[in-house]
Amino acid sequence: MSEIVTIQQAVMAEDEKYAFRVRESMREKKILAVNIIGSPGCGKTTLLEAMASRTDFSFAVIEGDLETSRDAERLATAKIKALQINTKGLCHLEAHVVEKALSSLDIDSLDVLFIENVGNLVCPAEFDLGEDFKVAVSSTPEGADKPLKYPMLFAQAKAVLLTKMDLLPYIRFDKEMFLRDVRSLNPKAPVIELDLLSGTGIEKWVSFLSERLREKRAHAV
Amino acid sequence: MHELSLAEAINKTVKELCARSEWVRVRRIVLKVGHMRQVDAELLSFAFDVVAKGTVSEGAELSILELPIVFRCHACGKAIGGEGTTFACTNCGSTNVELLSGMELTIESMEVESQQVL
Ligand SMILES: [Zn+2]
Repeated sequence: MSEIVTIQQAVMAEDEKYAFRVRESMREKKILAVNIIGSPGCGKTTLLEAMASRTDFSFAVIEGDLETSRDAERLATAKIKALQINTKGLCHLEAHVVEKALSSLDIDSLDVLFIENVGNLVCPAEFDLGEDFKVAVSSTPEGADKPLKYPMLFAQAKAVLLTKMDLLPYIRFDKEMFLRDVRSLNPKAPVIELDLLSGTGIEKWVSFLSERLREKRAHAV
Repeated sequence: MHELSLAEAINKTVKELCARSEWVRVRRIVLKVGHMRQVDAELLSFAFDVVAKGTVSEGAELSILELPIVFRCHACGKAIGGEGTTFACTNCGSTNVELLSGMELTIESMEVESQQVL
């Protein structure tokens, strides 16, 4: 005997409980949690490296990676507190993994926690990790068509980082189109142009974060 | 392929629901998916067949109801159904729009079997 039952439950409901707990703990500790999403090689780790000694807030990184611990080693060299999570082939991080990672990272004195998601533009956009917001990172050699190809990510992002601006003279990249498409998906998010080699744009990104941190703390009082 | 991630998430949610209600077998799952999710229904069904092996959902049929993107435009007041995924009013061009539908990923209903009482 079978019966038809009405469920009406969000698919991510189970994981959202973990995301809720992560968000609560970040709220209590007044830490800004930022979920960084972008393709492999778009400059996520380089961005974090480049931030060392350029911020007036303290930060740590939870590093989601498919197999290796190379990114965490790079960050450790830059004297950035980093914790590697090996997703063992899973193409995105999930909130329960982040919650577990938090228990083994000393976060009490932190201002900002970055969660560097697995290099992928699709799956990470679907999963809430308990972050304050998502940030989309796209590099110029990837092409200007990324926003419309991955609308979930670009529509949700609180900021869009466009990296490898130094390559612009050597490649074909329709910046007008990129900006227009980001706007059409997400009228509010700033697009921050970065050249991580020279450091151009990092100041703007850091002040964007400082502002969000200030807002969160003002809100928490 | 994010259909595999979604299939795993669906399977996990269904397993929890079954454990809670003592359902021992799932025959059919009706899923509502918003157009924003960019789900390929065929791929999702295929991925679900794979991940459901050896679980209560093994062999279950996945029926996918795709929901269109619907906006309300705050500038001209119209509700707009969009074909694509751009967040601009097709009537007046304003980007001051609110998403009413299109992000859903919900298990609407299931056909289940309960424990046989003999
Ligand atoms: Zn309008």
